[in-house]
Amino acid sequence: MIPQLVTVGYRRPNGHRRRLFVPVLPAALVLSPLLVLAVLAGLVACLIFKVRPIAALLGIGRVLLALPGTRFELEESTTAFQVSIR
Amino acid sequence: MNDQGRQILQMLSEGKITADEAERLLDALGRQQPEPAPGANPRPKTRLKYLRVVVHSTEDPSGPTSVNIRVPLQLLRAGVRLATLIPPQALTKVNESLEQSGVPIDLTQLKPQDLEELIEHLDDVTVDINDPGSKVQVFCE
Repeated sequence: MIPQLVTVGYRRPNGHRRRLFVPVLPAALVLSPLLVLAVLAGLVACLIFKVRPIAALLGIGRVLLALPGTRFELEESTTAFQVSIR
Repeated sequence: MNDQGRQILQMLSEGKITADEAERLLDALGRQQPEPAPGANPRPKTRLKYLRVVVHSTEDPSGPTSVNIRVPLQLLRAGVRLATLIPPQALTKVNESLEQSGVPIDLTQLKPQDLEELIEHLDDVTVDINDPGSKVQVFCE
């Protein structure tokens, strides 16, 4: 399953907390023109560096599919940062 | 011995089969139900999904530090497969840089199947470091 929601949270030294919920599919749709450009740039890079483009796309797809469940939390004295992918 | 083995011996004692036939039947039964290896775990192995890294440190005078990372093992596998796409020229350059840094590892010798096996056996890895000021745990769940 592709990632559906990315949660980014942080706490500033003054104790101010913020949590940002990013729905992946709508964000990808909004950024789709940039994504198309990124894919084209990637394909050109594959041709330059002699990497099979299909294999690279499949590999990136596998990484994306495996992302749900990833969590990273860092807390240091008064600051904190958290990223969670669901 | 299981019921089928006893049944064969019973048939032998009753004279229904010869000793040779009994031997052949017992051999066939042994092949059908192989004995578990002496060191093998009799319990079915549960499929672990995540690699966890947990760090708690109180060494910093400004306050405690904690890191909590959960990475799906599937992501490690996907990353390893993606890494196999690195062109050989790039690997050679990486090898040279590693050697200059004092890490003589030949990345061209790392085969995808070896890396797969490495990821598979991460299930069994548990690192537990208890220091007076810090605690580090690496395990799968």
